[in-house]
Amino acid sequence: MGIWQQAILSGLSLGSFYTLLGLGFSLIFGVTRAFNLAHGDFILLAGYLAFALWHFWHLPFSWILILCMVSLPVAMLALRELLHRLPEPFELNSLVVTFGLAIVLQNLFLGLFSADYRLLLLPTTVVLDLPACSLMMTANQAMLLLGSLAATAAVYLFLYRTFAGKALRATIQNREGAALAGIRVDQMQLLAFGLGGVLIGLAGPLMAVNMYLHPAGGLEPTLIAIILTIAAGVGRTGSLLWVGWLLGAAESLTALAVGSSWRELVSALVLLLILVGRPQAGAKHDIAS
Amino acid sequence: MEPDTVRKVFSWLAALLLIVGPLLFPEAEVYLLVFGLACFYAALAMAWNILALSGLLSLGHGAFFGLGAYAAVLLQQKLLMPVYPAVVAGGMVGALYGLLWGLVFKKLRGAYFALATLASLEIPRVIVDNWESLTSGSMGIVGIGRLPALDLGILTLPVGAGLRSQYYFLFGWMAFVTVLHRQALRSRWGWALRAIRENEVAAEVLGVNIYGCRLAALGLSAFLTGVCGGLYAHLMGLIEPAMVFSLQLAAFPLILSFFGGRFAVFGPLIGALLLYPLDQLVLQPLLPQGHAAVYGLVIILTIFFFPQGLATWFRPQSKTS
Repeated sequence: MGIWQQAILSGLSLGSFYTLLGLGFSLIFGVTRAFNLAHGDFILLAGYLAFALWHFWHLPFSWILILCMVSLPVAMLALRELLHRLPEPFELNSLVVTFGLAIVLQNLFLGLFSADYRLLLLPTTVVLDLPACSLMMTANQAMLLLGSLAATAAVYLFLYRTFAGKALRATIQNREGAALAGIRVDQMQLLAFGLGGVLIGLAGPLMAVNMYLHPAGGLEPTLIAIILTIAAGVGRTGSLLWVGWLLGAAESLTALAVGSSWRELVSALVLLLILVGRPQAGAKHDIAS
Repeated sequence: MEPDTVRKVFSWLAALLLIVGPLLFPEAEVYLLVFGLACFYAALAMAWNILALSGLLSLGHGAFFGLGAYAAVLLQQKLLMPVYPAVVAGGMVGALYGLLWGLVFKKLRGAYFALATLASLEIPRVIVDNWESLTSGSMGIVGIGRLPALDLGILTLPVGAGLRSQYYFLFGWMAFVTVLHRQALRSRWGWALRAIRENEVAAEVLGVNIYGCRLAALGLSAFLTGVCGGLYAHLMGLIEPAMVFSLQLAAFPLILSFFGGRFAVFGPLIGALLLYPLDQLVLQPLLPQGHAAVYGLVIILTIFFFPQGLATWFRPQSKTS
């Protein structure tokens, strides 16, 4: 029995992290309708930044978190400028340009950090140990779980309880309508990219602590963020969490049932199912903004 | 001279150089290898573009490539098939997977189709990675022989005898794919593809069989990509799942086609013959790790500054397509 409970627990913390991945993507997709194929590579950028700060300057982890959460918004605002200047057709060109950006970033990591797997090693302390139901949790796992949940809750409160958050949601739902209601759509875009950058800046160091960093590792977070965004519906924080947990649980149960090497298949199959099963997936009004 | 004449003379000179060059400089082995592979990637880019001409951009052609490579090698090792029939059969396995896409992704367009192809690249990779009894898993298959002599009945080509004959073989393969690529642009079917790309509803009203034309493009594109995969296994001598099912390989044809000009017969070819040698001969010695960033940079610059690709510069202004 215990092994299943442990799988559920790790699925839960993995799923919460997935929600964090999806949240930043979803905000940016909401205001631009651009699939950012470099999303996972920006998370890796934050992860490698955290690794470098730890490895070369020996900064404490809390400083690293703050530095990443401050510097990634700058990168995302630069991305916004790039996407803003894109010639038509926007949907296709944004896909191709962010794909190109992903290749540039991957090679940057390869050049700077080589193809080795990197891990930011923090001292492992066990914070939760219940031998009765054989549950165990280290500080790193707890940080992954709590950090992701706290960020999701903060974004949820911001979107639903503050005026700026409501304006941002309005922009995500209907750009023209929001503009007619007097909302500065361009400022909302800046806000979404900035907030997305903060979330990426949080996700990167958490990933560097709990999973290995690898130059080509950006594709998986990107796919997961896309899955969550499409399945949950754009900008819906609450559903993002549910979908994240479901995906996390599905992945860790698959890993337990047939072996961890099949885990990667889950996200690909889920994405295909969502894309093919979505009603009117190809209809034009669906993607027009 | 008329600009048109200049263009023609320039093209013929370039083609002549590609054919006669290797005979003039017999010692330049690196150049034979790099330009041979440039021809190979040109063929791969044109194979990809045959589907892109119908308006569907794929990010998952690495699936056809990898399936073709593994099928070709396994058919030789397990069923003792001769090399060239096995390579063609590998292409057919790729084409089958392509037809499956056609069936399952029938309604997907634009970014959603691209995302679906990206996800379907992962599926064969994970399966090949895990089916260790058949494919030896992530260890890959090593010790694959060079391409043997190709017996065409009238004459026998010693393809794998040396780098020069390998170069000519890949040049010939590129020429063959160029002919098919030209058909996808200029034939009646090519015009149907163009009509579908520009406006699907209007094309349907005109009586174009949208699904059939697109499926033909997808099948042909997947078949040629699969054959490229089989050839690649013999060019490299080894295959691994992460190497043949890679996003990098899937990205290559897209970048080369956009850069060279994806609406021109020789566009992807120009892109490959310029960019790949630049990367391998100039940038690789300077930056052994990370030189492939140039492909990402090039595609971003292409979209911003010359979205029609290089080929439009070589084309008279009056003809637009």
